[in-house]
Amino acid sequence: MMCEECGIRPAKFHLMTITNDVRTERNLCPVCMAKYQKQLPGIDFSNLAGILNSILEGGRERAEADDTPGELQCEQCGMTYAEFQKCGMLGCANCYKTFRQPLDALLQRIHGNTQHAGRIPGGVRSGVSIRMNIDRLKQRLKRAIEMEEYEQAAKLRDAIRALNAQLAEQEKPSDIKVEPPRRIVSEDGKGGEVDG
Amino acid sequence: MVEYLQAPEQDVVISSRVRLSRNYDDLPFSPKLTREYAEEVVARTSDAVFRGSGGQSFSLLRIGELEQDARSRLVEHHLISYDLLKYADRSAAMVSADGTATVMLNEEDHVRFQGLLPGLQLERAAELALGLDESVGEKVPFAFDSQLGFLTACPANTGTGMRCSVVLHLPALSGGGQMGAVMQAVAKLGLTIRGLYGEGTTARGHLYQISNQATLGRSEEDVVRSLTAATQQIVGHERAMREAAEKRDMMQLQDALMRSWGELMYARLMSTKEFMRRYSDIRYAASMGYLHAPLPALDVLMMDVQPGSLGVKAGKLISDREAEILRAKILREELTRLVSK
Repeated sequence: MMCEECGIRPAKFHLMTITNDVRTERNLCPVCMAKYQKQLPGIDFSNLAGILNSILEGGRERAEADDTPGELQCEQCGMTYAEFQKCGMLGCANCYKTFRQPLDALLQRIHGNTQHAGRIPGGVRSGVSIRMNIDRLKQRLKRAIEMEEYEQAAKLRDAIRALNAQLAEQEKPSDIKVEPPRRIVSEDGKGGEVDG
Repeated sequence: MVEYLQAPEQDVVISSRVRLSRNYDDLPFSPKLTREYAEEVVARTSDAVFRGSGGQSFSLLRIGELEQDARSRLVEHHLISYDLLKYADRSAAMVSADGTATVMLNEEDHVRFQGLLPGLQLERAAELALGLDESVGEKVPFAFDSQLGFLTACPANTGTGMRCSVVLHLPALSGGGQMGAVMQAVAKLGLTIRGLYGEGTTARGHLYQISNQATLGRSEEDVVRSLTAATQQIVGHERAMREAAEKRDMMQLQDALMRSWGELMYARLMSTKEFMRRYSDIRYAASMGYLHAPLPALDVLMMDVQPGSLGVKAGKLISDREAEILRAKILREELTRLVSK
């Protein structure tokens, strides 16, 4: 749908105004929406994330005009992609699956990346804090040696060794790489059950 | 009496903060969060924090039950975000006894863990937040995707869900017209800088906040390290500018800064705006050794005389004029006490 104001850009906002009990509804693009917001005092400007998303989307508007993901809807919480574009926030964890394709493009633009490189959950203490501790102790060790506090340095060296051992122990099982679960499908595509 | 210990790089770095955003896998996120689910978030998280907080004692505060000034006070002391107040009908905060660890509930994300420490201590602040995350996350799983990491309501936080920030006092760089260059350099590193109070290049009190932007594609460790390194560089430049100013004309520098001390010691009316200017001067003077006042104490005092905190101290709703009188009085008393120690 095109913006009802300029007719050039696709509409991303739905603006409803009530004046003297008369309701008017208009579909607007981010640029025209911004103009309206300036004219209308009392409009909520708190939704910057939504506006930001729409503006970020701007570069691709034309290419996507015929293939808008706005219709996508999350089965779990009922949020549509269009709704997400308005409020800038997703409705539940499942939204990330439902909107995966358009989200990947958005994440790439925000972060310059779409692959997580940080810690993983699972009850196991991650290596991050251990490594941080090791780094800090190493710095203290360096300082202790500089100050010729050898007793303290020996203690620090032992502590670093213990942490390194802990880290090595922990990284053993992490050979199991975390990959997205794959669906097992047999060649005829009917499912992965094995004949008994 | 409170002992004030000097934290690393405290002549320039006021505080270091790390926030981690987390959401429960089985509950709807912020836009779809009903009161009932919000209560579930509070019950689940507070239970896990109370049971596994490793010796730290926490208190649970329901934002909706607090008076306006008490809410502002929490924001002024950086214990909670301003945004948490926007969701006052459902939000809550858990604050550790020493204020270094906070858990915000039902803000934009279900849970936000925070570690806050004076000076440049991002690693330790990260450990505080990650420690809380571990102790809660092992009891109740957080939404996580093997490719995208921790899932947050706003995609701008997805991945590590981690925002690190430092608050810097940059009177020499800022007064010397160098902030434009600093801002450009910082932006190139993928970091954001803004005035802590006010905006643009004329931040109130010469206080600036720098934080990381991207949360996807870099490890927690990596982000902490790069922000620490960038901060250390800015600290180096600020110190060089301070030394240069002293070398140029020490008497003039001392005179300019110490005049603010005089104003603070004798003024009967003190607005927040004027106070921030004077505070910046005396903090600068103290860091140069012209004034023997502990920096951590000055920073605590700065937060204590912000409008909300003053209201809490007064114990009632006060007018702007009453606030100015009370601020001036507290400053006279506290500053006298600080230098006489």
